[in-house]
Amino acid sequence: MLTKVCSGFSCQVNMQVLYMGIVNRAVRNISRRKIRASLVIIALSISLSIMISIPAGLMANQEAANDMANNLSSTITETGESITQALSQIDVTMSSRFAGYGFSPDATPTIIQGGQIPRDGQVLNPSNAPGFGDRYGGFRGGEISGQFGGALQASTPMNQELYSDISNINGVAAMLPSLEASDGSQEQTLEMMGRSFTTQIIDYTIKGIPLTSELLSSYNILPSNIVAGRNLRADETGVVLLSQNNSAFFSAKVGDTITIFDTDFIVVGIYEPSASTDNLILYMNLSDAQTITNNTGYITSLKIFTTSSEVVNTVVEEIRSLHPEVTVITGQERLNQLEYMQSRYNEAIESSQASIAATQATALQEIIVVVAATSLIVLFVMLYTVRERTKEIGTLKAIGFSNRAVMAQFILEGLLLSTIAGIIGVAIASFAAPTLSSLLLPSVQSSLGFTLSATGPIVAATTNPVTLSVELVLATLGGAMLLGVLGTLYPSWRAAKIRPAEAMRYE
Amino acid sequence: MNNPVLQIENLTKTYTLGKNPVNALTNLNLQVNRGEFIAIMGPSGSGKTTLLNVIGCIDKPTSGKVHLDNIDVTNTPENKLYKIRQDKMGFIFQSFNLLPYLNARENVELPLENKIKNKTERKKRASELLGLVGLSGRENHRPQRLSQGEQQRVAIARALANEPAIILADEPTGNLYSQNKQEIIKLLANLNLTRGTTIIMVTHDIQVANHTERMLLLKDGKIVTEKAGLHIAKKQSKCPHCNSSIKISDETCPTCKKALFETDEFFTT
Ligand SMILES: Nc1ncnc2c1ncn2[C@@H]1O[C@H](COP(=O)(O)OP(=O)(O)OP(=O)(O)O)[C@@H](O)[C@H]1O
Ligand SMILES: [Mg+2]
Repeated sequence: MLTKVCSGFSCQVNMQVLYMGIVNRAVRNISRRKIRASLVIIALSISLSIMISIPAGLMANQEAANDMANNLSSTITETGESITQALSQIDVTMSSRFAGYGFSPDATPTIIQGGQIPRDGQVLNPSNAPGFGDRYGGFRGGEISGQFGGALQASTPMNQELYSDISNINGVAAMLPSLEASDGSQEQTLEMMGRSFTTQIIDYTIKGIPLTSELLSSYNILPSNIVAGRNLRADETGVVLLSQNNSAFFSAKVGDTITIFDTDFIVVGIYEPSASTDNLILYMNLSDAQTITNNTGYITSLKIFTTSSEVVNTVVEEIRSLHPEVTVITGQERLNQLEYMQSRYNEAIESSQASIAATQATALQEIIVVVAATSLIVLFVMLYTVRERTKEIGTLKAIGFSNRAVMAQFILEGLLLSTIAGIIGVAIASFAAPTLSSLLLPSVQSSLGFTLSATGPIVAATTNPVTLSVELVLATLGGAMLLGVLGTLYPSWRAAKIRPAEAMRYE
Repeated sequence: MNNPVLQIENLTKTYTLGKNPVNALTNLNLQVNRGEFIAIMGPSGSGKTTLLNVIGCIDKPTSGKVHLDNIDVTNTPENKLYKIRQDKMGFIFQSFNLLPYLNARENVELPLENKIKNKTERKKRASELLGLVGLSGRENHRPQRLSQGEQQRVAIARALANEPAIILADEPTGNLYSQNKQEIIKLLANLNLTRGTTIIMVTHDIQVANHTERMLLLKDGKIVTEKAGLHIAKKQSKCPHCNSSIKISDETCPTCKKALFETDEFFTT
């Protein structure tokens, strides 16, 4: 039928006539057996929707892992830079040991507040700290072990008075006491290393620093990149400097009044953070922060500026002998911690990569099964159809249909079935893909759920939603059509081989 | 009439079922001229269908030659035989073999798909053919809505569509009751008479066979008897014994009561 010599326009006409007759018969044949066709289409579309969901889930996992890796590396880079710039600085925070917080190997979820860097296998189990409620932004956790290392947010208050003697140490140029507190309204439960625990989602963190003209003129204690309004000025009270994130959270512009810890503040400026870890921090005068959090005279950390980076070690010695109860961290120590953290992160990334590789292997096996199932469905249904229509095939051949024409007829029917199923499969997957892929693929998110930022807070990595890309949809439709043709190849070859003389004997 | 449309020489067809070869046709010779109407009769298993299948190029002989329109079809490869069927053959089957999901007109259009490319023209031609077999107005009816006789008429229209050199009919009335049987055989005889279509028909029915000019009796794969059938009477409408007028369907002369044709030979098995 297809061998007709033709040229130009007349050829197109020939092909079209041939095409229409064949298509017409294919459509009629499929619609002749409505229940069978529906069942086949349902079965095929389910397997095709699974087929599209697997790579979609895989891509989402991969993207989540990439996002996490990118977050980690940029966080580490940013933190590393800021620490290097401040090698002459020393951070003093209250050691939780001396605040009466002991270690406990089997802690139940409680609030963790402390400046202690947890080491491997250690667990912080703080009891209530005076004056600190949920608002004070700790983290609830079960076993937050040193698996990921890193500093938790320092938020144990220290009496500012007790540490004034540090300023007398030789080599100390200035002291920057500060008070940080966070507020959060929602809690989220997260999985980490197979355990679940709850953290508070921090909405914002207030940071109170003394706005003395002396400090402001000599040190970069405030953000430098102001994008709206102005920076805080010396001795100002009742005003705040918001990050862009804060500004969005409070939906506040410069000049607006916002309420923080039940107190009104006027927004004087908005800054762009230099590191993503500063996104949630809003700045105000230390005295304001102490007043609104009911912590007059208390601070959560003390930054010490030394005259040069050479004297850092002697100053640290002196502070440690004067105040054995505090944790003293130098920029160098922070860098060391960062390296330790980096190696931990690398391990986490490696394990997530291994987990993704395992997921890919599973996905591949599943896809093979689904592809096999899809083509087997087509194969058996079409084999059955060919058998059932033996007499019809014999008749068509007796009245002059070529083997090719008979084959084309059945291939077209298989193609039609699988294309319809492909479209329905994509439609199913467009809403069921997340469910299907989570059922079919081992979750990689559980080991990727967290990153720890260098300066403290645990940041939950975003898990990418499973979406169907145009390419994936087209690939699935193409795959469906290909499987339809492949599955029909053998049955239609069988149909073409039917000998009309024998087919006529067949009832 | 030295223009045979079909020449068969020493045709043998042997089926091998397990160890025992079955000779369906043995050394059969036959020549059919253009415009002949031939009935093939014979007991069951005598090779009638096998002979039609070989003539119709849907089965290959074991040995011997078959010439159709002077083409040696025994030497034609399978991938070209379909073209011969498409151009020269018209098949009519005992069980009609219409495609149930196509209406009458579409069934008739099937063999025209490669011959008339223009869809409207093809439809028109199919409708004409349906008119020829007396089915005007039934074009859009599917086979299950047609009577058995009507279905066979659609099949005849389909067999005529490609203007074949030979129409091969394997027991075309085998599934029909007498009324329908009469209609079909008259239709075939009429087509043969008016259009000069060559028809080779297998039948068990002497009444049907009597409408043909030539009756062949097949036995064990051989033509054992060849008789001129009703054609003399068809032309004269007179009893060969008493010259009184007879009807086409009469087996015995209504006047002299003598058998009009020696039929017993054809039924001895
Ligand atoms: N495909 C086949 N395989 C084996 N033997 C066959 C085959 N087709 C036909 N035969 C045998 O060949 C012989 C002739 O068969 P054929 O069908 O030609 O007879 P027939 O005269 O048409 O009989 P009926 O009047 O019953 O239709 C029979 O003995 C039959 O069994
Ligand atoms: Mg037979």
